[in-house]
Amino acid sequence: MTAALEVEALKLRRATAARVAALAVVLGVPALSVGFVLAAQRAPGSQAAAKVAPMITGEGLAAPLGLAGQVLSIGLLLAGGVLVSWSFGREHADGTIGALAALPTSRRAIVLAKSVLLLAWGLAVAVATVALTVLLGLVTGAGPLDDAASAAAGRALAVGATTALLTLPFAWVASALRGYLAGIAALLGVVVATQVLTVVGAGAWFPYAAPAMWAGLGGPEVAERVVPLQLWLALPVALLGVGATVRAWDRMEVR
Amino acid sequence: MTRAAARGQDADAPGVVALSARGLRRAFGTERAVDGVDLDVRSGEIHALVGLNGAGKSTLMRLLLGLQRPDAGRALVRHAGALRDVGEVRPEAFGQVGHLVETPFTYAELTVREVVRSAARLRGLGRAAADRATRGVLAELALERWADRRSRTLSLGNRQRVGLACALVHEPTVLVLDEPSNALDPAGVVLVRRRLRRAADAGAAVLVSSHHLDEMARMADRITVLHRGVVVGSLPPGGVDLERQLFAMVAAADGVPTEEALG
Repeated sequence: MTAALEVEALKLRRATAARVAALAVVLGVPALSVGFVLAAQRAPGSQAAAKVAPMITGEGLAAPLGLAGQVLSIGLLLAGGVLVSWSFGREHADGTIGALAALPTSRRAIVLAKSVLLLAWGLAVAVATVALTVLLGLVTGAGPLDDAASAAAGRALAVGATTALLTLPFAWVASALRGYLAGIAALLGVVVATQVLTVVGAGAWFPYAAPAMWAGLGGPEVAERVVPLQLWLALPVALLGVGATVRAWDRMEVR
Repeated sequence: MTRAAARGQDADAPGVVALSARGLRRAFGTERAVDGVDLDVRSGEIHALVGLNGAGKSTLMRLLLGLQRPDAGRALVRHAGALRDVGEVRPEAFGQVGHLVETPFTYAELTVREVVRSAARLRGLGRAAADRATRGVLAELALERWADRRSRTLSLGNRQRVGLACALVHEPTVLVLDEPSNALDPAGVVLVRRRLRRAADAGAAVLVSSHHLDEMARMADRITVLHRGVVVGSLPPGGVDLERQLFAMVAAADGVPTEEALG
């Protein structure tokens, strides 16, 4: 397992996909969140303000942090899901699976190493995103880091952690269907389903909808109705996803 | 003492069967890729597998490596002193196996040194041993000049050399190489021939497939001809005009005159 972790960490560190995906979320989410809140406050009559107003709850620094949680629930799912699909699917697309599948390092160890590192990547990206949103909010004078802002930051971090867990099952799609495009296609399907279910306010029991709804994407009333168990469902979904991926690799034939 | 022996693995006596196909069969739909093959690869020997495109060479190698499951028959590898089904001794038996079937183990974003060192680590070497082994095999395969270049910038031939370095870095006692001289320049071909000879002389069992009959004639101790998934005979290593003999064998298997087999 140590060797697999070491090698997979090196691959992830060097991967352009990992860097681009991380930068897109870590820079994009704070810029959008703080920018939209500023726009809504400074030009309340503008078209942008009218569109974003329903998504903004809370006052001061809590406003951009609340928005960051919502954007993170979609942004991290997309960026992390693409990265997870690529990490597993590329071994088929690049033809390296033939070498990986017949080593003294077990296939299970390789799958677990990839999963642990990709989860760590997602968590690190969530922490950096929230930290940068706080910093940008403070610099632009959104307000002090009071109790309400801390609670909003905590919620955004929890949304990020839940979303990071939910990216792991796309490894199974990319592995079973032997390529990253299959994983990305499944991801897009899930994002569409999540949007529909969130907008209609139903389906917090659909694990991919729960964090977005709790973040406030369906409005404050919908967010209030989300119960902790619905969020915690992300954990068994992630474990099932990793388990299915291990099984797919163990049974896999290399053609 | 070889590195493999130092790690407590079998350094088999010459002539001991280290890799074996017993009645192996595998079909893809209606196509019988491997159709009842018996084959032994012995320690200290280079065993060449020759045949036309689609003869079943790569499938046979994948079956022997446990990368595919047979419909019937057994793929056996020597582990802890006995021949065992490859599926049952995976992954532990692979500490002594080195392989390259079709695509070399290269990652575009890593340097040549990092790729080879990663292969060494995944093949069971500790950090210090992996560093030493990487330096050694890069020198042996004349890859030092490219050691710190990203793999994506390499020519096809050098990528093949990197793939071979990854298969050889842990000094395996069983080697399975599909077309090892693919895309290599003449200097590379000689280098690989010498390296495989050295491995066999040190006791490794080497199975190689190739279309280059002259090369196999120079290198191999035993040449088996595979045609339409069946072993149709063997050729004398060091013999002359192996091409003609191969076509005669293939034509006889197909029941057509040799000229027809030549097209």
